[in-house]
Amino acid sequence: MTRFIRYILWGVVLLAIQTTLVRLFSVENVLPDIVTIWLVYVALKEGQIAGTISGFISGLLIDFVSGDFLGLSALTKTLCGFIAGFFYDEFKTNQIFGTYRFFFAVLISSLLHNVVYFAVYLFGTDITLVAAVLHYGVGTTAYTSAVSLIPMRRRKK
Amino acid sequence: MFRLVLYIFETFRAYLVFAMLVTVSIFIMAISSNPQLRAIQSFSLTAIGFVESILSFIPNPIELQHQRDALQNQNVKLLQEVNSLRQSQLENLELRRLLEFKEQTSFSIVASDVVGKSLHLLRNTITLDVGTNDSVKPNMAIISDEGLVGRIVAASEHYSVGQILLHRDCRVSAVVERSRTNGIVAWEGGTHLVLKNIVKSVDIKPGDRIVTSQFSSIYPANIEIGIVVAAKQIPETIFQEIEIAPSVEFSKLERVFIVTSVADSERVALEKSIEK
Repeated sequence: MTRFIRYILWGVVLLAIQTTLVRLFSVENVLPDIVTIWLVYVALKEGQIAGTISGFISGLLIDFVSGDFLGLSALTKTLCGFIAGFFYDEFKTNQIFGTYRFFFAVLISSLLHNVVYFAVYLFGTDITLVAAVLHYGVGTTAYTSAVSLIPMRRRKK
Repeated sequence: MFRLVLYIFETFRAYLVFAMLVTVSIFIMAISSNPQLRAIQSFSLTAIGFVESILSFIPNPIELQHQRDALQNQNVKLLQEVNSLRQSQLENLELRRLLEFKEQTSFSIVASDVVGKSLHLLRNTITLDVGTNDSVKPNMAIISDEGLVGRIVAASEHYSVGQILLHRDCRVSAVVERSRTNGIVAWEGGTHLVLKNIVKSVDIKPGDRIVTSQFSSIYPANIEIGIVVAAKQIPETIFQEIEIAPSVEFSKLERVFIVTSVADSERVALEKSIEK
């Protein structure tokens, strides 16, 4: 139970950082998504259901604080946690950061998250999905995946 | 039946949870215009906006570096522009001066840029970007707004070469403007010219203006050659040597005019036949 409280606390802290401080590290208007990294961690640590539920809750909170399309982040973060859950291995829950499994989980989850996000967000507009994903999705995915290497390398030491 | 449902739930519970949460998300999207939801969103946004406004003083280091690079680039471009404008302004002033000169002069002249020059030899010349296509011919006088420069010694279709006053073979028939004494201006090296054939009895003072005389078959009369800076008495001769500072600053010479009206050919032929 304590560890779930810890996850929630971490989630809230990272969400606050994502919405306030991460802009300081923007490169060409592209930001890393540290909530996705946290989600993948939860999914790899606790399994697919925990990841999916965490995704939904964190997504909903993002929807409330972003002022954007309500329910969209809840949907995409749910998907993100669910996808990350496929990388869950109950025998390797203590070796999350030490392997490239974490990096690839972040990469794939983030990419699908961004594709679905822009597909829904741009539905009915003149901007094509490919253009939006190439312009923002790929950048965000790459940046987020690169940031996920930081805790991975720290754990390796 | 219950066991079957339980089995299905146990086996696919992750999918069921996912499907349920996706449904809820879509439902939220569908009712996103709901006033209560909007009120919660508005409250959250206000709170986040407040925190962001507090943290807004912290700069983005990457963005700052981009801004610095952009400003440096802009600075370089602006400096280039300033230099270019300064150059244009100087050129404009120079051209205005030359235009005024061209309007004032009574000769038929052709303007030219100096495209090459030598100033460190005994036979110094300048190369001009006008030639026979511009009616430029050998023995035409070269002048500038400062005074006499020299004469054309060779011309091709598009270029010509001028012998300047700082040339060992250059001789110019000159007159001291104040005393109307005639002499020959020559160059014997250095930065100054020499006025020769002036007898010691003639009164010449530093500051006297030397101009071309009407006796020259090449140079038009009354073109300024220079200013007397010193008069040296040569022992055992009846002459004195007058040192002249040329009016034209040859090292800065960029644009000149060629006087296209050549001397009277009949007079030149007669003078040459007598010389022979």
